[in-house]
Amino acid sequence: MTIPLIVFISGIVIAAASGLVGSLLTLRKMTLLSDALSHVALPGIALGIVFNFTPLWGGVVFLFLGIFLIRIIEIRTKLATESITGVLFVTALAVGALIIPEQELLETFFGNVQSISYSAAYIQMIVAILIIGTTLSLLKQLTLASIAPDLATASKISKKNIELLLLVLIATTIAVGISFVGVLLMSSLLIVPAVTAKNIARTFKEFIGISMIISAFSLFAGLCTASIYSINPGLATVLISSGIFFLSLFVPTK
Amino acid sequence: MLVFYFYKTIAKKNVIIFIMRLDSLLSVKNLSVSFHENHILKHISLDVRKEEVLAIVGPNGAGKSVLLKTLLGIIEPTAGSIEWFPGIRIGYLPQRFHVDMYLPMTVGEFLDLKPRKILTNEAVLRLLKLEKSWLKKRLAHLSSGQLQRILLAWALLDDPQILLFDEPTENVDVTGQESIYTLLHHLQDTTGISLILVSHDLQVVYKYANNVLCLNGKQVCYGEPKEALNHKTLSELFGDHTVFHHHHL
Repeated sequence: MTIPLIVFISGIVIAAASGLVGSLLTLRKMTLLSDALSHVALPGIALGIVFNFTPLWGGVVFLFLGIFLIRIIEIRTKLATESITGVLFVTALAVGALIIPEQELLETFFGNVQSISYSAAYIQMIVAILIIGTTLSLLKQLTLASIAPDLATASKISKKNIELLLLVLIATTIAVGISFVGVLLMSSLLIVPAVTAKNIARTFKEFIGISMIISAFSLFAGLCTASIYSINPGLATVLISSGIFFLSLFVPTK
Repeated sequence: MLVFYFYKTIAKKNVIIFIMRLDSLLSVKNLSVSFHENHILKHISLDVRKEEVLAIVGPNGAGKSVLLKTLLGIIEPTAGSIEWFPGIRIGYLPQRFHVDMYLPMTVGEFLDLKPRKILTNEAVLRLLKLEKSWLKKRLAHLSSGQLQRILLAWALLDDPQILLFDEPTENVDVTGQESIYTLLHHLQDTTGISLILVSHDLQVVYKYANNVLCLNGKQVCYGEPKEALNHKTLSELFGDHTVFHHHHL
């Protein structure tokens, strides 16, 4: 399997963005939310496959529709974000799996690097750079609101705006990452590297840096392994990132 | 002549009002807060002047933390007015600050998260008589008393003129509690900062406060501790058994 250079580069940038956003999610104990949210993109991807437009855009639209719906239900019922996402995610999974033709279902679940066009790779890379830029420039507010909500409110940081921003960041990261690792394996880029970094880092800078590096390295190594051994890149990436996690358990730091 | 007399009185009044305003940092009138028709606070009025220490006492669930959060603008009042001195800088130490045991963050990195810093991390640590090496300590490795000091450092970073301190009712050991009050007292001596402190320890109130507000949903007493905290208000506040305790203070 040959993978074009631009897809490689774009993938590494996207993985770095996932590592960054993922590290914020572990601070809030929102890791499973991001995993569940990635499934909400499925019906959009399905529509793209059936009606022959780029599935990525369908996914983006459905992710944002999903966030919008979560917010509305949250306001009306006072249920926790995570609970509502739980309901939406199985619904979206079922709807998506029903629409997508069987032979393409596996690709959607586990990613298909070869379906990524040059232009899509460029666009995804630019979006990932925007994600990294936005997150880093608002890192103080995002972090404070996650670890000490009371102090954030006292410093006039709007909890609602920060939560919304975080949801948008997650959704955008998922949208650009799905074509690489698929709907089911998105957490290999978002969660696993961040959890590994949290386990070995001593300072916050280290934490964020290590998370981004592990994520980027996992995808890079995943793509390399995939092109050498002709296996699914998404699966290779997951196995590499979780392999690093298990190795990190032996690092004596704390 | 008459005109001159009127002019003089008006001018005098204005000067008096002006001086009062300069001296007063906070004026609260008839403040009420309710959640879903549950009255948490009813008709609270208080004033805080420069260099004053106001203690707020009351049993659990009396609305002490709610009062502080309302003063800070975190909670919206349902009625009444809160007037802060224009442009005042307010510091706040929350009651609880839970740190995730696995949070990889140093004290220095935590203090750097503060928006609109006026003082440097080092300057604040000096104020609190803490070594510079504290900046490199991991947040998750601090004891509850040490964490409270770091929160105090956080609150002092924007050089506040008044500090709102919500005393933790749990998890701080007695020596930790004592040192935080000694520290606050020392701060007040050196910087002349005003304090509003929520406390359940009457000894602290007698020792450090100029004024005390007794709270039990409504305002039970307000004034100098020795006068305001009498048998009647204390038993209304905590129940009859505390009156005995009060004799031994």
